[in-house]
Amino acid sequence: MQCDQLRDDRLDVLYGEGDAAARRRVEEHLAACESCREEMAGLRSLRQDLRTWRLPVTRAAFRAPRRGGRWLPLAAGFLLAVGAGLLLAGTELRYEQGVFALRLGPTDAPLREALREHEARALAREEAHRRELAALRASLPEAPRGEGDLLARVAEMLKESEARQGARLETTLARYDQQQSAQRRYDMARIAAGLSYLDGKNGQHVARTTELMGYVLQASAPEN
Amino acid sequence: MKQGMGRSDEELVEACLAGEESAFDVLVGRWEKRIRGAIYRLVGSDDEARDLCQEAFLKAYKNLGTFKQEARFSSWLYQIALNLCRDRMRRRRGRTMVSLDELEEGGTTVPEPGPSALDRVHERDLSRLVAGAIASLPEEQREVIILKEYQDLTFLEIAQALDVPISTVKTRLYRGLDQLRVRLERQGLRGAAPLPAPTP
Repeated sequence: MQCDQLRDDRLDVLYGEGDAAARRRVEEHLAACESCREEMAGLRSLRQDLRTWRLPVTRAAFRAPRRGGRWLPLAAGFLLAVGAGLLLAGTELRYEQGVFALRLGPTDAPLREALREHEARALAREEAHRRELAALRASLPEAPRGEGDLLARVAEMLKESEARQGARLETTLARYDQQQSAQRRYDMARIAAGLSYLDGKNGQHVARTTELMGYVLQASAPEN
Repeated sequence: MKQGMGRSDEELVEACLAGEESAFDVLVGRWEKRIRGAIYRLVGSDDEARDLCQEAFLKAYKNLGTFKQEARFSSWLYQIALNLCRDRMRRRRGRTMVSLDELEEGGTTVPEPGPSALDRVHERDLSRLVAGAIASLPEEQREVIILKEYQDLTFLEIAQALDVPISTVKTRLYRGLDQLRVRLERQGLRGAAPLPAPTP
């Protein structure tokens, strides 16, 4: 009977979890009970056998998904910021004699200046035409009907002049836009090249992150 | 940033919930090897152990908000891992749980420095027999023996992980050890004297 009552104490002692009182109870019982003494010896022997089962050597199973996943966007963000900075700084790319030339710093200042001058000239001409037309109207307040054709022709000339100025303005703007687009394409290509380099350097990490993201999505999916 | 290694598991959980995501990395580094070891011994396949270990940590991360500080984080983590193992075992019931071929492959187990080749052969045979004997135990006994013998959890931690009283843990362990002794004796291993019949 006492053997059964002390079973939990014996297990505590066997696994080193028994307190002093439990150890004393077990020692006293074992001294008097041959069956339990043999049992304890057998359990200790069995535990030695169990220790022979070792784990295979394996590589690490899990890496927390956020470390690499945080670094890569930071690097990409940095490159994007650099690219955007270059764009804003007016970096210029030219292709001359089979060689790409990259020039840092504001490059469209002359273009902008020319554009402003062109606009100013067009506005000045327009204003001059308006004044001329106004002067004509003022000088001929009661112009005979026959002179109406002349005024209409002047007005038409003014419109044509405005159209020409507008066309020139559009051409200049289009050229400017083309230059900006080329710059943008070049900067985006450089960013893409940078990201590809990072991808190459961290291919395994990226693949691992992708795999883990898959697990996250799987684990996040509602269970059926 | 505060270093994670000096903080308890429960403090790291709180830090992670407060937005310090790197705290979970510390928890993973601290427990991954042991959790994977337990899973391997339960399911018997290294590939499955890797998968289930990842799944256990992802599940823990996802449900970190539901962790109650009444129990230890490790017990909660073991509970998640054990549930995943049970699900996996149910799905593949009838298949061999431990790949004996895997155990027989030379070099797959950690070599012990010192013993002779003969000793190693004997140990490998013994290891294979032990693995097979444990794999043949009923699930609840196998779980307790693995957590106690190979994970060195206390009876309280096992009780928390399995969500049963400590007395139940001890009963399962006692019965499991008795069955192991019988099975290993049948295979010619040194054995202990029969254990007294457990109290119902």
